Amino acid sequence: MDTTTEFRKFSANLDSLEPIREFLTGLANKLGLDKSRTYKLCLAVDEIATNIINYGYLKSGITDGMIDVIVDSNKELLTVTLEDTAIPFNPFENKLPGEVDLALPLEERPIGGLGIMLAKENVDEFRYEFENGKNRNIFCVNLK
Amino acid sequence: MSLSVKSEVIENVAIITIEGALDSSTASQLHEEVQKIIQQNPTELVLNVENLDFMASAGLRVIIFAKQKLGSAVKLFLVKPQEQVVETLRMTGLLFSVTIVDKYPE
Repeated sequence: MDTTTEFRKFSANLDSLEPIREFLTGLANKLGLDKSRTYKLCLAVDEIATNIINYGYLKSGITDGMIDVIVDSNKELLTVTLEDTAIPFNPFENKLPGEVDLALPLEERPIGGLGIMLAKENVDEFRYEFENGKNRNIFCVNLK
Repeated sequence: MSLSVKSEVIENVAIITIEGALDSSTASQLHEEVQKIIQQNPTELVLNVENLDFMASAGLRVIIFAKQKLGSAVKLFLVKPQEQVVETLRMTGLLFSVTIVDKYPE
């Protein structure tokens, strides 16, 4: 099946969050993804890009890091991959807010873990790999 | 798009109008506004979010912060949130902690 690949590099700073969302929204629109699922994809990617910038590169002491955004699509699947060269940062090893936390009144809630939960919940598949010194966060959306 | 935040306190009701995108790069703007508001001990907090087009967890954390600082007696209203924002609140269990209205006062 024919797969199209789009690729763009972004500076690993918070000012890149909006351009990343705009890049993804443009491609998703071309593929005919509806508004709701496009928003969800942007939200999932935004949360992980934020972690890469705020934790990964910051902990690595790298100030001029980059995030590569690779978008592969065919008729069935849209795949967004974020690649970075910060220290290994596996989002699945971070504690997610449990059911109990989410049921607590807002005033009693610990803050944290929400971003990773949103990344997992807003795409059809979210996975993480570390390969050749690169973190790869992969988001899949079914187009069928 | 970025973010625009404007606030006023009228008869102990704090009203914050938020437009644009609330992500990790812009949430501090809202955080600062909320901190200013808290010092005035409002009895209700109203967030006008009709033109809030994007909200990431950084935005949710400011809402949680506001609720925690103001306490459970202070009601938090969201005026006309967009469907995707409501969905994010639902997904994270925050929907129970806010009151969604079409206009304020109701």
